[in-house]
Amino acid sequence: MSELRRHAIDLDDFSAAEIEEILETAESMREVLGREIKQVPVLRGKTVVNMFFEESTRTRISFELAARALSANVVAFTARGSSVEKGESLVDTVRTLQALGADIIVMRHSQSGAPYLVARHFRGSLINAGDGRHAHPTQALLDLYTMRSRLGQIRDLNVVIVGDVLHSRVVRSNLWGLTRLGARVTLCGPPTLIGPAAFWTATWPTIRIVHELDPLLPEADVVMALRLQKERMQSGLLPALREYTRVYGLTAERLARLPKHAIVMHPGPMNEGIEIFPEVATASPAAIEEQVTNGVAVRMALLYRMAG
Amino acid sequence: MRYLIKNGTIIDPANRVATIGDILVANGKVERLYDLADLHSEREPLGSDVEVINARGCVVAPGFTDLHTHLRQPGEEHKETIASASAAAAVGGFTTLCARPTTRPTPDNAAAIRQLRELADRYGSVRIDLIGALTLGNEGRALSEMRELAEAGCIAFSDGGRTIADAALMRNAMAYAAALGLPVMVSCQDPHLAAGGVAHEGAVSIRLGLPGIPAAAEEAIVARDIALAEATGAHLHISRVSTAGSVALIRAARARGVRVTAEVTPHHLTLTDRWLLGWLEERNEIETGRPGAHPDLSLPSWLNPALLPPYDSSTRVEPPLRNIEHVEALIEGLRDGVIDAIAVDHAPHALVDRDCEYGIAPPGISGLETALALALTLVHRGELDIVNLIAKLTEGPAQVLNRSPANLRPGATADIVIFDPERSWVVDTDQFVSRGRNTPLRGQRLKGQVMLTMAAGKIVFRRDDFGRQAQAAPQPSRLEGILETE
Repeated sequence: MSELRRHAIDLDDFSAAEIEEILETAESMREVLGREIKQVPVLRGKTVVNMFFEESTRTRISFELAARALSANVVAFTARGSSVEKGESLVDTVRTLQALGADIIVMRHSQSGAPYLVARHFRGSLINAGDGRHAHPTQALLDLYTMRSRLGQIRDLNVVIVGDVLHSRVVRSNLWGLTRLGARVTLCGPPTLIGPAAFWTATWPTIRIVHELDPLLPEADVVMALRLQKERMQSGLLPALREYTRVYGLTAERLARLPKHAIVMHPGPMNEGIEIFPEVATASPAAIEEQVTNGVAVRMALLYRMAG
Repeated sequence: MRYLIKNGTIIDPANRVATIGDILVANGKVERLYDLADLHSEREPLGSDVEVINARGCVVAPGFTDLHTHLRQPGEEHKETIASASAAAAVGGFTTLCARPTTRPTPDNAAAIRQLRELADRYGSVRIDLIGALTLGNEGRALSEMRELAEAGCIAFSDGGRTIADAALMRNAMAYAAALGLPVMVSCQDPHLAAGGVAHEGAVSIRLGLPGIPAAAEEAIVARDIALAEATGAHLHISRVSTAGSVALIRAARARGVRVTAEVTPHHLTLTDRWLLGWLEERNEIETGRPGAHPDLSLPSWLNPALLPPYDSSTRVEPPLRNIEHVEALIEGLRDGVIDAIAVDHAPHALVDRDCEYGIAPPGISGLETALALALTLVHRGELDIVNLIAKLTEGPAQVLNRSPANLRPGATADIVIFDPERSWVVDTDQFVSRGRNTPLRGQRLKGQVMLTMAAGKIVFRRDDFGRQAQAAPQPSRLEGILETE
């Protein structure tokens, strides 16, 4: 096994081999989660602080379950009601948590790049649970795990990511992971929610950017729909939700045009009836619940790589 | 006290002088300039009251003028004071600062200007000129009493870093300024196009997930303001130009005779948005194995963005650092004269305000102490000749202000800078005399340092014991080559 990882801020510094290793470990962690007593002593005596400056139910609970399954002490810190509301800076908050003995911080923050600031002021390990539009590495890892467990391997998969690409941290982390493991990625959505293609291909040269979803469907192995935030309409990025749904929504008709083996994913939370329809979300190609289940095992695997 | 600055390489763009020679300073004025031709001629003997300053190997130039300084006093003395800003100016070779109306209370009335004037006279060790607010509170809603401001001694009008969104109000402001004969200094950024943005919109902002500010946000307002200047006959000065499109617009406007001048900052001339990546940049290169793909490879090796962490708040400036295509267009604009001046946009902030998330960091760089060395990277790279660089710091700003340029002709005020263009140093913000330590250049090795600054004949900065001892041997310098081509 390669040397331990200190921080997990984005997948940009994960090699293909390291990602594979985590996905393998996640396999064993799933086995642990299937046992009567879902606990192993990997993080016994360690303190994990879940520091969430932005609301998130599934990611926070997923991390909490993962840390507990590894026997860590888990403390939840939410910005509401804390010293942050009284104007404490992020750096001061982190110093305080450090003084209180935190070994691992799991952080969700609304500002892109905030984890790099925290990592500079924290002697322990940091896991990014989502920062602004920048990165969400554990979501990408669990997406990769889900694709691999459903489709066998990532290499040469046609992955279509559709929706509000511009504002999505899930997309950016998935681009690092998917391209590094050899998938062919297409980003699809209205021009206002992607921006010029060259801005993306400068960093990820192998990807494609298109604005029409329908022609992609017959060739797709994976279709991942992104959450469309309703604020996007208020800021004039979209003319109407109805139009968005008509062109980009994952409807039963579109589902029918996918190859038999293809899977449908969504990082959640879903806007049912907008980017995805209820009958699609629960159909057999949908892997959305599996994504959530796999999230715990993958986060355990990452914590394991960081704590040994 | 009289000073004889000996054996320096005298570069005085306004008088088209570039020679090795001596300058005699007395009573706050340049008394005599001895050039090569005078070298062997008889001179009257020096009195005992003359201090000889040995400037061999160094450039001796008129003191620099900064068109764009944020003094912070009154109102934000924890960031900077007039005393610390003028000390920083002296370290950087600047003998004149033009204070933007961003202090508090906003200098939008004669009383506030008189208060500022008093503070500047009491605490300033270099010349400080005041720019009045264009609108009340810099809010872009109602014009300030511009005539009163002019009578109180303002040299120009500006709304600090803000763009007046209301084009009709802007037209009125320009019409007023035209009648008063003073320039309107604008920072151009369409507030809607730039809303929420913190980085240049492009590959880097996409990779980092930072809200972008498109080049068009600047260019749309530059175009608008040029049209208004053309219609009103006002003198429009475009502050901190940052895009290729702006340079093209200004070039075209000047070609048809519009009274428009422009400035660019040292950082927009030399740094790109890839500085926001910090050490992620290096990692990228290792990953892709394509060192040739690095768009900033033309930058000198001693400027290294990888010394910074990613998203370092010191790279947050307004307008944002752009990409290499824009930087090249700015250098071209500087070279061909479309851009008149290099202005620092000295914007000091306290550390406590800067050690924070990128999106909430206050924009700005504390730049007076690094401006010359940073701008000199263009000279060291062969992209700008040193005479032109000095002109952009002396003659250019004077033209923007419609005044006769600082120069070294006998009788001129002895505002003089002596700098060693080859001296290599590492930026250590702990050594800054400015209270603002916010700079992306911390830890960088730069080449070129001010050794001595004289303001109105008084030494306001002297590095170590500069010039007190005769140097043993002339240092071989690239300057000799530069002079031969003059």
